[in-house]
Amino acid sequence: MRALLIALNILLLLAIFGVALFWHPAADEAPLPGLPRVVADVPLADLPMGGDFTLDGPRGAVSLSDYRGRLVLLQFGYTYCPDICPTALTIIADALAGLTAAERARVQALFVSVDPERDTVARLAEYTAFFHPDIVGLTGPNPRLAEIASRYGAVFVRQDDASAGGYVIDHTALTYLIDGEGRLVASLPHATPAPQLLAEMRKHLPTH
Amino acid sequence: MKSALPLAFLASALFAAPALAAGAADQISVVDPYVRMAPPGAQATGAFMLLKNGGDKDVAAVKASSAAAKVTELHTHINDGGVMRMRQVKEIVVPARGETALKPGGYHVMLIDMKAPLKEGDHVMITLGFADGSSKEVHAMVQKPMAAMPMQGMDHGKMKH
Repeated sequence: MRALLIALNILLLLAIFGVALFWHPAADEAPLPGLPRVVADVPLADLPMGGDFTLDGPRGAVSLSDYRGRLVLLQFGYTYCPDICPTALTIIADALAGLTAAERARVQALFVSVDPERDTVARLAEYTAFFHPDIVGLTGPNPRLAEIASRYGAVFVRQDDASAGGYVIDHTALTYLIDGEGRLVASLPHATPAPQLLAEMRKHLPTH
Repeated sequence: MKSALPLAFLASALFAAPALAAGAADQISVVDPYVRMAPPGAQATGAFMLLKNGGDKDVAAVKASSAAAKVTELHTHINDGGVMRMRQVKEIVVPARGETALKPGGYHVMLIDMKAPLKEGDHVMITLGFADGSSKEVHAMVQKPMAAMPMQGMDHGKMKH
């Protein structure tokens, strides 16, 4: 009996040591070293200045000001983006589908490619149509894209060795809302659920 | 000395148990695997799934391969203040008695340079390789992109899907 008790005690101790040895609580995802931190989730009052821009669209030059009187959804990305952009554009498509026809006539979604080297306007048109026929794909020369991005507080950085599948582009994945007067009124974090995006859109829809 | 035998027996049983367990792959079950249908002309897409570990040891997936793509990698995304940075990872750890989700915006299997465009409903076999050399076949179906988050509070009846 005594022997059994000792054995059980030792077993218990071994079990505790075993747990201590093998238990690795999940560590929080640490940011990669050497990458600059970018603050983008800013309060509404501190939104970047935004402003007008002109880029190349499927039928020539397109300016943000062409859409005065409409609420514009602005999304930066690129078509080789395998996950983030499809997620963002799917949410935008779902939100567009949730609008009435009358509301949809007062909304324009723009997808701005920050990868003009690979994304032609024809390729962009095919890509955006896959998600929703009303999304317009735009791009332009890199310096112009950089200037526009900076006004929207967006960044994009090419990474050449992140994957064997060619370069990837780290990019701001916020969805921007620009009201009928061309003012930046909201920026929503990546993967904001479509109902929330829809509610935010209705808040800023031009009234006529 | 009378106590030594049961002690030795118990101790050896305790330490022998992990050695008797089969490869890490046998501890892992794969739930709801799918490949996201890529837009036309896209060179790459992601495969997503939930990995559950029924064993007592952490298991690390260290590689993936698929006949559907020229290159298959394990990736994650880091949301750096709104900037999404996609990176290849050396391993995806599934904790003992726990689970790790491969989902949009996070861990995923990247299928790069697909040999043929994948259509909705196509079947894709993906082999996950684990740190101990064992591997597991995953049978994933191609699905149209869906929003990453559930459509809470939304009237689906009104939506055109």
